[in-house]
Amino acid sequence: MKNLKLQKVLFYALLIFMTFIYLGPFLFSLSISFNAEQDVFSWPIKLLPDEWTLDNYRRVWSDLPFGQWLFNSVLITVIQTITNVFFASLAGFAFARLDFPGKNILFALLLGSLMIPGIVLLVPKFIIFNELNMINTYPGLMIPTLVTVVNIFLMKQFFETIPKDLEEAALIDGCSYFRIFWQIFLPVSKPALAAVAIYTFQGSWNEFMWPVIVTTTRDMFTLPVGMAFLKNEFSVQWPLLMAGTILISLPTLAIFAFFQKYFVQGVASAGLKE
Amino acid sequence: MNANLKTIATLLFFLFSLIACNTRKDKVMRLSSWVSSPSETEIFKQTLDNFREKNPDLEFDFEPIPGNYSEKLQLMLGTKTAPDLFFLKGMTAPSYMSFKILNPLDEWIDTNPAFDKNDFFPFAMEAFQRDGQQYGIPKDFNPYVLFYNKKLFREANIDTIPTNWAELEQIATQLTIDKNNDGKTDQFGFIVEPSVEMVMPFVYQNEGYFQNPDGSLGITDDAFIEALEFYHGMYEDGIATMAQDQGVAWNGDAFGREATAMAISGGWLIPFLKDNYPDLEYGIIPLPSGKKRATVAFTTSYSMPKASKHKEDAWTLLEYLVSKEGMKNWTESGVAMPSRRSVAELNGFYEHPTFKVFMESAEYAKPFQVQYSERGFEEVVVAFQAIFYTGKEPREAMEDIAEQIKKYSLVGAKKK
Amino acid sequence: MKLTKKQKEQTKTAYLFICFPLLLFMVFTFFPILFAFVISFYDWNLLIPDKVFVGLSNYTELFNDKVFLISIKNTLMYTIGVVPIQTLLALILAFIMNQKLRGRAFFRLAFYIPAVTSSVVTSIIFVWIYSKPGLLNYLLSLIGVQGEDWLTNPNTALFAIMALNIWTTSGYFMISFLAGLQSIPQSLYEAAKIDGANQWQQFWNITVPMVRPITYFVVVLGLIGCFQVFDQIYVMSSGGPVNSTTTMSYFTYNNSFKFFRLGYGAASAIVLAFIIFGATWLQKKYVPSEAY
Repeated sequence: MKNLKLQKVLFYALLIFMTFIYLGPFLFSLSISFNAEQDVFSWPIKLLPDEWTLDNYRRVWSDLPFGQWLFNSVLITVIQTITNVFFASLAGFAFARLDFPGKNILFALLLGSLMIPGIVLLVPKFIIFNELNMINTYPGLMIPTLVTVVNIFLMKQFFETIPKDLEEAALIDGCSYFRIFWQIFLPVSKPALAAVAIYTFQGSWNEFMWPVIVTTTRDMFTLPVGMAFLKNEFSVQWPLLMAGTILISLPTLAIFAFFQKYFVQGVASAGLKE
Repeated sequence: MNANLKTIATLLFFLFSLIACNTRKDKVMRLSSWVSSPSETEIFKQTLDNFREKNPDLEFDFEPIPGNYSEKLQLMLGTKTAPDLFFLKGMTAPSYMSFKILNPLDEWIDTNPAFDKNDFFPFAMEAFQRDGQQYGIPKDFNPYVLFYNKKLFREANIDTIPTNWAELEQIATQLTIDKNNDGKTDQFGFIVEPSVEMVMPFVYQNEGYFQNPDGSLGITDDAFIEALEFYHGMYEDGIATMAQDQGVAWNGDAFGREATAMAISGGWLIPFLKDNYPDLEYGIIPLPSGKKRATVAFTTSYSMPKASKHKEDAWTLLEYLVSKEGMKNWTESGVAMPSRRSVAELNGFYEHPTFKVFMESAEYAKPFQVQYSERGFEEVVVAFQAIFYTGKEPREAMEDIAEQIKKYSLVGAKKK
Repeated sequence: MKLTKKQKEQTKTAYLFICFPLLLFMVFTFFPILFAFVISFYDWNLLIPDKVFVGLSNYTELFNDKVFLISIKNTLMYTIGVVPIQTLLALILAFIMNQKLRGRAFFRLAFYIPAVTSSVVTSIIFVWIYSKPGLLNYLLSLIGVQGEDWLTNPNTALFAIMALNIWTTSGYFMISFLAGLQSIPQSLYEAAKIDGANQWQQFWNITVPMVRPITYFVVVLGLIGCFQVFDQIYVMSSGGPVNSTTTMSYFTYNNSFKFFRLGYGAASAIVLAFIIFGATWLQKKYVPSEAY
């Protein structure tokens, strides 16, 4: 028994230690973001600022095109989240519940495309968008990930768990498939839809490689691209940069804190079904 | 069935209209620069305001490009999203000119006697010429000069300034001090940087070249290696530091913090020091000389892309910015040296205690340009990093990359 | 075979439902795959209108390009270093979290935060932590070790970025494992306890084999992610110093969008894709798993 207790203490100690490792860097950058002094490269470093200020947060808005970047990021994220939820569930429904010629081949093809490393598509996609004159435009930023295969896959998996008798009754009543999808399937699919929405939100919000290539002027940057460029600036203002990074992290953080349950379900089902 | 059709059709319509309504803004002329220090930006905007006053009908947007300027600009040119007028670094000009994406400006220059092209410093004009055509008008130039900290010199009882390599080394040694006797140097005499531009003044002074006048590669010649060895040697001997070692972004910052008593830099350091270290007591002198006097001058042009839809307007703006009035406006505070001799006189720079050093340097300055693509350039940067970060022998490092670099010779590189 | 009316309607509806994603994948996934091969046979520079067919010369140049060979080495080192450590760490954390401990939700969130945060943000924070007067060296100085500038030293830069990667992704994979652990019947552990197995033996003899399908999934995802690491390199080191952090995807980016040799970049991406296929195939062949 004593052994067990010791073990528990050990586990807790380890967990708390790891919490420091995982959260420490964020806490530290939070502390820098409140630092009134611009010169934070003094040695030995101070874990807490001598003088606290909210000025850096104010300057993020006044000195940087932060508002514009925020608008771009929000626009892209919101549209992609909506289209992903809608089209992925629609397609997932078709693959899970409808019979049609070519279904298996198409689905295999989609799953197969997951194996393609994104880097291969980078250059051809860029050339295609350039030919379409969509470099440095919102459609250029959004279109490649309006729907993703992973989301279709998740929705298909989920719809397959819904009992058949529900839709059969509706079919007898003469409902169209779209109504069955819209009025019967969607309402009971909230956990899966939420998982898809959260995944997409996080993915779009944090996406870096495509926006960095496809945007060429500062007014089209998304938040991560803007921040990365600031970091490469002549003289980096760390407190300002840290304030910016904290602000960028808040939305995803908030969503995860509130919807942890759905998210964990999503990861779990993705992991188990693969 | 109808209901699905409608819903899906509406969404698709919404999406495609989103795509369709995306007209890229090319209605208004755009001017782009890189992002410089706040004080420089202020002066530049002031100059632009003066232009607006004179040309109230000519609308244009000023959009500085943050981050890796050259990389982004190239991407913009390739995707037809480039601004109609932009800053072009003299160093990258050869590759841009070889791609034939810039609009030649000769027609305007030649039909416009007031432009007076002979007023410009020839080295600055030549930096933007290829096959007899002018692809950019130099807006200003900035030679490397030596900044030294007067207070630190006084403290070390030094009352001379370095005029040659031996003196530079000797004075740097005297200024390298471990103030608190903890075995670690707190103040260095000099600061080095693993970049080609920084080494080139020493190479030129040693009568070497990156690319010899006959077009062959000069980086394995003795003159080049000796200069590199001298420059790197100061770091090796512990009398020079590097920005990274001080945890600062660049040399100027280290100089402002008094981590080094001397630093090579251009005029852009002056406003930086004024903004960040207003109490620093410093002086500016020409670079010490080697076998001969030499320094590297950076020059930037205004250039316009062939694909621009606002060429006439762009020229109007360009013409103003490089006119005597526009250039005086931009350069009189000394952020950069005017590329017109007459403006330098107007500004009184030839007699000015600080700026005359820059004007003197202009007489023997060379722009740094090579006929190799950027990939070749990158190889040299990496080799320099190997020398400074891992202690690779300079000669070995240069010999290792020489063959590789020759492959990246620009298409149709002219032999001077 | 003649379709019944019901089947006909189903087919019509189904294709209507999937037409949009299908179109999207055709244009932006399947076509680009073929197109990538085509581009890789050309000297393709956006600034030069003429695209010159060069056959396989991009590929032969690649294998004579020292930087490319270094990038393969770096990528392999990166992957071999990161994947096992992050997988093991994730499994151990999940194992501990699966014990009946208080505050699980809090710990779960804490470990998860790095994974959901933008890679640009975590990279920027770590640039600062790894700098010479940064947090890491401060902590080291407390135990009397004098650290260096981790990102400008060619011997440490890659490892520093690897550590960041492990830090960000282990929390994500922990959740995958946790879900798997929760589906292991408690009776197995009870039986093991009766047989006198200690915690460690339970971990190795029950937990590890039972989560094998998830391990497979985690390793494959880890491999794909590591082989393509880009964001961190872009923000933290730009491939330097001395090419010590030039990975294959950064090489592809650099050659395509900095040196503007899109054909050459496409060729290097294709080589990278084949290396990834090879690695997943090897794993499938030599690491047995019930997952397939």
